Amino acid sequence: MSTGFAFPDQALRAALSELSRAADVRYGEVHFVDERTERLEVKDGRPEVVTSGTRVGASVRVLGAKTWGFACTSDLSEAGVVTAARQALAVARASSRVAHSTVVFPPQPAAVGTYETPLTIDPFTVPLAEKLAALDAPVRALLAFGKPVQSAEASMDWTRIHKCMLSTEGSDTRQSFTYGACGMQVTAVDDEGHAQCRSYPVAVGGNGFQAGYERIAGLDLLAHTSRIAEEARDLLLAPPCPSGVTDVILDASQMGLQIHESCGHPTELDRALGSEISLAGGSFLQPGLLDTFRYGSSLVNLVADATTPTGLGTFGWDDEGTPAGKHALVREGMFVDYLSSRETAAALGRASTGTMRAEGYNRTPLIRMINVSLEPGTGTLEEIIADTTDGIYLETNKSWSIDDLRLNFQFSCELAWEIKGGKRTRLLQNPLYMGITPAFWRGCDAIGGPSEWRLLGIDNCGKGDPMQLMHVAHGASPSRFRDVTVGALGARS
Amino acid sequence: MSDLSGSELLALAQAALARAGEAEAEVVLRSARRGFARFAMGELGQHMELREPRALVRVARGLCVAQASTNLLDEAAIVRVLEDAARAAERVPETPGFPGFASASEPKGDSPPRFAPATRDMSADTRADLVATVLRTISAEGLVGAGALETRTSSLAVATTRGRLVSHDGTAAQFKVWALETPGAGGAAGCGGTIHRDVHALDLVGETERAIRICRTSKDPASLDAGTYDVVLEPAAVAELVEWLGTIAFAATAVEQGTSALRGRIGERITGESITMVESPLDDGPFGLATPFDREGIWRRRVPLIERGVARGVLYDRAAASRMGAESTGSALLIDGEGDGSIGPSAIAMDGGSAESVDELIAGVSRGLYICRLHYVNGLMDPRRAVMTGLTRDGCFLIENGKISRPVGNMRFTDSFLEGLARTDGMTRSRQAVATAWSDAGAHIVPAIRMRGFRFNGKSQVV
Repeated sequence: MSTGFAFPDQALRAALSELSRAADVRYGEVHFVDERTERLEVKDGRPEVVTSGTRVGASVRVLGAKTWGFACTSDLSEAGVVTAARQALAVARASSRVAHSTVVFPPQPAAVGTYETPLTIDPFTVPLAEKLAALDAPVRALLAFGKPVQSAEASMDWTRIHKCMLSTEGSDTRQSFTYGACGMQVTAVDDEGHAQCRSYPVAVGGNGFQAGYERIAGLDLLAHTSRIAEEARDLLLAPPCPSGVTDVILDASQMGLQIHESCGHPTELDRALGSEISLAGGSFLQPGLLDTFRYGSSLVNLVADATTPTGLGTFGWDDEGTPAGKHALVREGMFVDYLSSRETAAALGRASTGTMRAEGYNRTPLIRMINVSLEPGTGTLEEIIADTTDGIYLETNKSWSIDDLRLNFQFSCELAWEIKGGKRTRLLQNPLYMGITPAFWRGCDAIGGPSEWRLLGIDNCGKGDPMQLMHVAHGASPSRFRDVTVGALGARS
Repeated sequence: MSDLSGSELLALAQAALARAGEAEAEVVLRSARRGFARFAMGELGQHMELREPRALVRVARGLCVAQASTNLLDEAAIVRVLEDAARAAERVPETPGFPGFASASEPKGDSPPRFAPATRDMSADTRADLVATVLRTISAEGLVGAGALETRTSSLAVATTRGRLVSHDGTAAQFKVWALETPGAGGAAGCGGTIHRDVHALDLVGETERAIRICRTSKDPASLDAGTYDVVLEPAAVAELVEWLGTIAFAATAVEQGTSALRGRIGERITGESITMVESPLDDGPFGLATPFDREGIWRRRVPLIERGVARGVLYDRAAASRMGAESTGSALLIDGEGDGSIGPSAIAMDGGSAESVDELIAGVSRGLYICRLHYVNGLMDPRRAVMTGLTRDGCFLIENGKISRPVGNMRFTDSFLEGLARTDGMTRSRQAVATAWSDAGAHIVPAIRMRGFRFNGKSQVV
């Protein structure tokens, strides 16, 4: 069994033996993570960021008499990893001493195997100059647009992670991941200082994927420069999005963000049970609502799928050895399951849906979104627009905010089109829409078909305390929602 | 591998630079040890011993610059990343105006007090005992406890081939506590929090009592309609808005890009006359937490940002300063998370006012809201006007006739913070240090404020 990477087996097994010898250890994991990153950013014609990095280390998560302990090290000698195991055990003992309840952690068959990202071109073999040129060309094209373009930037990120997990249950998983992200943004500023941004394919670092450099050619940044520069210019002159209640159509990328915030996070079972209060909050989707609560219209089918090709949330096993699978979270509009771990699922008498992941070697695994996606419906975006009498169509997320139970949300987008009589009639600036999660999803009456389905990759989903950033993804087609409150940003005094 | 002190890191950086033999290079080394006791659902469920070592190097070949990093703090590993950066620097285009790395002649001040041995020495057992006491106190009130107690020791060193050599050791202890009606399903909640370099200076009892008090008075909230309300914001709420302002307005790069509210407005009034904000990283009082120099080894400066409502300055690193004809303010963010290459504040101090208490601010409101904390603020909507949206959390109360009358459900605001500050007519004299939420820079120091006519455009609802 091999991914071709040389893992420090001897040190990891010595740490595992250390745990196995302790009478009060009920379960233990030893993790090894080797992470290599590269970030390139070209801004306004200069290389703004050219950086590469490595992060390598081991961690130990151990379940003692009552509860957990965690420790980590970048010292990969046998003594170093064994010391980390002893520290984790000492922490577990300190915490167990003051614990009232005993963690229930159901046994699971040992997970053994390998996983590797399928890819055609290894991004770490592509010459640096070629990658920078791929960013420089679109930035120069955007700047060549002239006034009112003020600033342009493009970026590319690559991450390669080799990880393995050994457990006291006999699990031994070896996985290698290659993640990428790429995108560009232009900022136009008028004579009065008003600014408008347009991005492609999405904002905030571009769209993420699990694949190789072959994905860059498909993005074709250069082909989209004229469009986004013109849209940024036109947005400066466009009227603000009118306030009111109307039908909204969201593009696939904004749908991804909508799923992330209003379905992904509230279906995290650790949040629902209360273990994420110190940063993110709880969830309105409480266990008592399982199988009885109408989350959305009957068209809405949301799944957690760790097997989606090219998804940032795709893997072989999660960080406690649960194999990748596909699980319905919302079926025909009904809330039916959570993103869960072995411990949290056991609290509901269910099996884990396999979502425990840690950001790196020095963070403990948490329940994280995997690929949480909306199953496609039928038809195209243009057919949905043609079927809409009065509404707005929104593209590309600009800002996001949602309450601590994931009910009240407000999202703004870079661009909107007014729709009248089934046609795009005029561009609108600074659009926002808001709602209450289940009321919003119950108003979903059109979901585009498989040909419109896109996967949005997010490489900076924040959760945990201390904060961990995670790779997650969301697949969706453009969709329509009835009777949504819309408006323009803020109130001018 | 033992944790290295600042002086040991500096010696390591110098040795690596000497061995690599690069003509123009910079080495930044950091080690951090964090004891992190995170509790929830009334139990200490995530207790961790964390290590965060990092070496970040830059190499320049003329105007061509590249960066590389590793988490291995040994000489051979640092030399390897210097070689990686050197290879990359040979392949990247020039960065016009690159000013070179910091030199020995850069100003250097006295290091303010930043280290407390008690924080460094706190054991997992002691943290567990302290958390257990907090949880017992909350449980005795029939409420559910959550939060975290962290003790952090960190060291930093910067060395350049131009002879810039600086190092630092610091500690930080932070306590956050919630008292909750339910573990994760919402309902009444109260929060307390405190940060200090000395763990023994944290008022765990006081903050726990505060969380309990807010939770107990938050039960059975009324539903209030969206609209415009006068508000009294506790320091925790003010700090979150100030931190966002630091992100979208005060970085020189935001000015360059055209998205900062201060672009083209230095010397102009941008908010109310009572508002003064200063980047104040060298505070030698109890609130001081920031490292005295930045990622480039530049000694941090006190920078007036807004003075009596007038825009006065923004924050620079060396590259932005070179491009914009200014001097670095020592504001290159440290090497955590997303900070690499960014510019930002490390400790914004906002002037207080004359009110002796929050109650005095409340007494001046005939009908409005008293807000303890905010949640999920986002300031990317219209950064030129500093329009922000977010929600109340962990304590929102209706004020009627100068007194708190009853709790209300959480509300969503969307308004320009700068325009709101222009309508601010009261601030407490006393200020609090509030830990930064999105970086480990330290804390912002802010008063409670009274803001007139804050716009709320939504409210949370129960299912």
